[in-house]
Amino acid sequence: MAMRELVSGGAACAVPGSSSSSNPLGALANALIGSSSKTQERLREIPTATATTSDGNLYAGVEEPFASLPGSELEHTLRPNMQGSEFLQGFRSVDQGRFSDAWDEIQRPQVPHYQGRDGLTNFPLEQPLPQQNFDGPPQRVLSNFLHSFLHSSQGGIPFRPTSLPVLGLSEGDKQCIRDRSSIMARHLFADKSEEFIHGQVNALLSSLDIDNDIRARGPIPGRYPELEEYWNESQGMKPGPLGADGWISEFTQHRAAPDDPNMWVQSFERQHGANGWASEFEHEQSQLASIDQMRGSSMPNLAAMEQTRLLAHTLAQNNDPKFQNSKFLQFVSKMSRGEMTIEDNQFKPVALSAPGDWATEYDQQYGGGQSWADQFANEQLSHGPHGWANEFAAEREQHGVAEDEWANEFSKLNVNDWSEEFERQVADGTLGDASADNWANAYDEYLNEQAVLKQKSETSRGLYEFSDLNPYVGHPNPLKEGQELFRKGLLSEAVLALEAEVLKNPENSEGWRLLGIAHAENDDDQQAIAAMMRAQEVDPTNLEVLLALGVSHTNELEQAAALKYLYSWLRHHPKYGTITPPDQPENLYYADVARIFNDAAKLSPDDADVHIVLGVLYNLSREYDKAIEAFQTALKLKPRDYSLWNKLGATQANSVQSADAILAYQQALDLKPNYVRAWANMGISYANQGMYEDSIRYYVRALAMNPKADNAWQYLRISLSCASRNDMLEACDSRNLDILQKEFPL
Amino acid sequence: MPVFKAPFNGYSVKFSPFYENQLAVATAQNFGILGNGRVHVLQLGPAITERASFDTADGVYDLCWSESHDSLIVAAVADGSLKIYDLSLPPASNPIRSLHEHARECHGVDFNTVRKDSFLSASWDDTVKLWTVDRPASVRTFKEHAYCVYSAAWNPRHADVFASASGDCTARIWDVREPGSTMILPAHEFEILSCDWNKYDDCIIATASVDKSIKVWDVRNYRVPVAVLNGHGYAVRKVKFSPHRGSLMASCSYDMTVCLWDYMVEDALIGRYDHHTEFAVGVDMSVFVDGLLASTGWDELVYVWQHGTDPRAP
Repeated sequence: MAMRELVSGGAACAVPGSSSSSNPLGALANALIGSSSKTQERLREIPTATATTSDGNLYAGVEEPFASLPGSELEHTLRPNMQGSEFLQGFRSVDQGRFSDAWDEIQRPQVPHYQGRDGLTNFPLEQPLPQQNFDGPPQRVLSNFLHSFLHSSQGGIPFRPTSLPVLGLSEGDKQCIRDRSSIMARHLFADKSEEFIHGQVNALLSSLDIDNDIRARGPIPGRYPELEEYWNESQGMKPGPLGADGWISEFTQHRAAPDDPNMWVQSFERQHGANGWASEFEHEQSQLASIDQMRGSSMPNLAAMEQTRLLAHTLAQNNDPKFQNSKFLQFVSKMSRGEMTIEDNQFKPVALSAPGDWATEYDQQYGGGQSWADQFANEQLSHGPHGWANEFAAEREQHGVAEDEWANEFSKLNVNDWSEEFERQVADGTLGDASADNWANAYDEYLNEQAVLKQKSETSRGLYEFSDLNPYVGHPNPLKEGQELFRKGLLSEAVLALEAEVLKNPENSEGWRLLGIAHAENDDDQQAIAAMMRAQEVDPTNLEVLLALGVSHTNELEQAAALKYLYSWLRHHPKYGTITPPDQPENLYYADVARIFNDAAKLSPDDADVHIVLGVLYNLSREYDKAIEAFQTALKLKPRDYSLWNKLGATQANSVQSADAILAYQQALDLKPNYVRAWANMGISYANQGMYEDSIRYYVRALAMNPKADNAWQYLRISLSCASRNDMLEACDSRNLDILQKEFPL
Repeated sequence: MPVFKAPFNGYSVKFSPFYENQLAVATAQNFGILGNGRVHVLQLGPAITERASFDTADGVYDLCWSESHDSLIVAAVADGSLKIYDLSLPPASNPIRSLHEHARECHGVDFNTVRKDSFLSASWDDTVKLWTVDRPASVRTFKEHAYCVYSAAWNPRHADVFASASGDCTARIWDVREPGSTMILPAHEFEILSCDWNKYDDCIIATASVDKSIKVWDVRNYRVPVAVLNGHGYAVRKVKFSPHRGSLMASCSYDMTVCLWDYMVEDALIGRYDHHTEFAVGVDMSVFVDGLLASTGWDELVYVWQHGTDPRAP
């Protein structure tokens, strides 16, 4: 049955002549769908009601015909209808009988028959694509970010963000996160002021590196919104009272760490300086202007948003243990305290708030602060070396049904893979007893190292994960073989050969370094970092290793770690070692590092490496225009550096120039056709532009070259569903590249 | 009763109106702030088993079963779309409809139990829309609220009457034959997150608010509430009248509890369940089994239990 019949009642309609245009709904149907029979054919029918007469059917009237919907004409002609007021009278009148009579009368007129199924023809609607594009970096990184954050608070699972070169939340995503967080925060903090809620949300957002340049879904109107804005604006010019609050929580939290409290004051001065706030404000202003141009809409009240970079910690005031244990609330409160930058398994406090009279506030609120300190201490405890084991057991019990999630969780740990590999290989007898022992030893070693790493708080990430069944083990010169394969662009093979090399010579820094680069180009930052860290252990001053680590940590959004390595790069550089201060400060600040690098660039403007590092640094601070400029300068000096083209493309993609990014990636691929990372990035850029079909082709190409690129599989899945290619999801889930390649040739 | 663990945070749970052992759950990743969503269809038995699941590109905030077809589910998705799933069709042909008109997150859906051909969607774009499963576009848009509409609920007797609950601190009563709302109920001083009609008295409506209270109103005399139910420690997220007893209600809250109320008696709070470890945001009562409750929350768990028993009991 077609829509016309449903709307008009069709031939079976009980109202005489109703299929003609005398029926207002029929007229509407005519107007809407015209006489196009094609349209009617394309309409899909919902299955009939016959299936519904189950024994459990409560409603006897299921078979009852559909009445045409009263009121639908109102959507198009809003004519004042006096008859409708009967309803109102009905409600207000005490006479229930009259009320129901009125209802019956209204109900009676049109009783078209529901005809049942006439074939499951095509679905008529163009399936609208999801409005937000959760493809690519934002969704994945955020998701991992949130989850690893939650998990790191309870059991010490290593932090494993996705291996994306760069993170760029689209404007839509930012808006979405901001709006949803604001709306939810208002439910939670109903009795708090709007400023407070802004503070909470902004703390959360700024820790996610979402700037305050987007106007949130406003508060409930009707409470003089104009005045509120005016108030916000006036507040924006000076630090609000909540700024102090933020300080306290950070201050107490910092105290909990065994550091000199005075350092905190210093660090504040260093970071903010006299004009820090003002320049940040200007920066935001200019960003706002550009967004305005982009959207062609006005985005007022930036000052108001800026002042809400203020933090608070009311959640601590609820002493209910259940609340204190809530993952969500821990998550929110931690984020609101700006603790989101977890580096090296330590909470690195980030001073976000404006200067205020924090000392007095601190005294007043010391009690509240203490509980944070306790909580912090508890968390530190739970990070003990055995944390993950308990976690493992607990999760295992809980995850009976959600096996896939379970697997995901533990692939993060790599424990799963290790133990599985171990078991399988022992069972197969593919390895001799000796090698089985090696595996066991390696596994033990892994556990030990894991524990050591935790104790040292050295790193939040796992160890290097070797492939099983490596044909290059026993190769006479795996390093040479690896270099050769790498040169040929056979990255996955090169990885195996280099793994064989470092298994043979664990002290070979060059082997680890090449292995790291091969992984990075193969779009696996996790492994790349693990390998590079081994390379650095062996040779702490290798410049290339330091630079690569800086870049990888930037990709993983770990600012402090990235700064550490980039700074070391400069210190150990024969040319620039002199311009760095003799002793490395305990805490590095972005502004300092950027300044030194700018000095270095002035010192020798022809050193492409310095410009590359500057580009990376500007990525960290999200000054993408400057980053693009730096990379372009470097490219003039090193036009054949494919990884540099890739960096340029990733930066352009981040600054919402996906079309330019594609050109840059194309350059990278022209120089190095087997550059998996560039293929995957290309896919992301297409997906970001809504060209899902194209993105699928690039992901498939990347995966054909490196089927182990887990992230690319996930992007592919998302693109497939966005492109409504649900038919291929199974092939994606089973990782059937043959089918996918056939379906999506490039 | 058994428990079901979902991979994402639970958002809503609904018993099937056709089969006493079927249950649908709406879930969203990352607490619904950003990420994917999934609809689970669960089969109750000695254990809860999953019959089907459907992925969405954004979180699923709510869902409802069709009242006319036992296999249809309407899901309210955070990207503003409504998806209609047909359990009798293979996953590849689902969703059978994607209705994308709301400009903002869809937060509530409700199927008409009288006429059984139409449903409502409540959205953060401040509107309520009226739909039928047969039409590709909405039948009507009700735009009067000044802030997010969190839920809309059909009157159980009158096919054309529904109520909406909004963050603008009002609940409104609508008649789809009327151009505008027929009644504005300034029910709370704070945002109203949920409303439901009494299943035995078509003039009684309950509203649940961020002010931690539930209020019961008689629309014939709405100057003062019939009852004010205090007891939740945080915003009340959902309220639901019992299909079996006129004065019985279930509610769930950000205070992580599910409460049962009898608004006719003096000590209205007749049951409190403390089983969730995160915000309890979804609750439903079975129409088949008196006292059978289901709840879900951000702890990713779905509980089904008989009133009076411990939800966590194995």
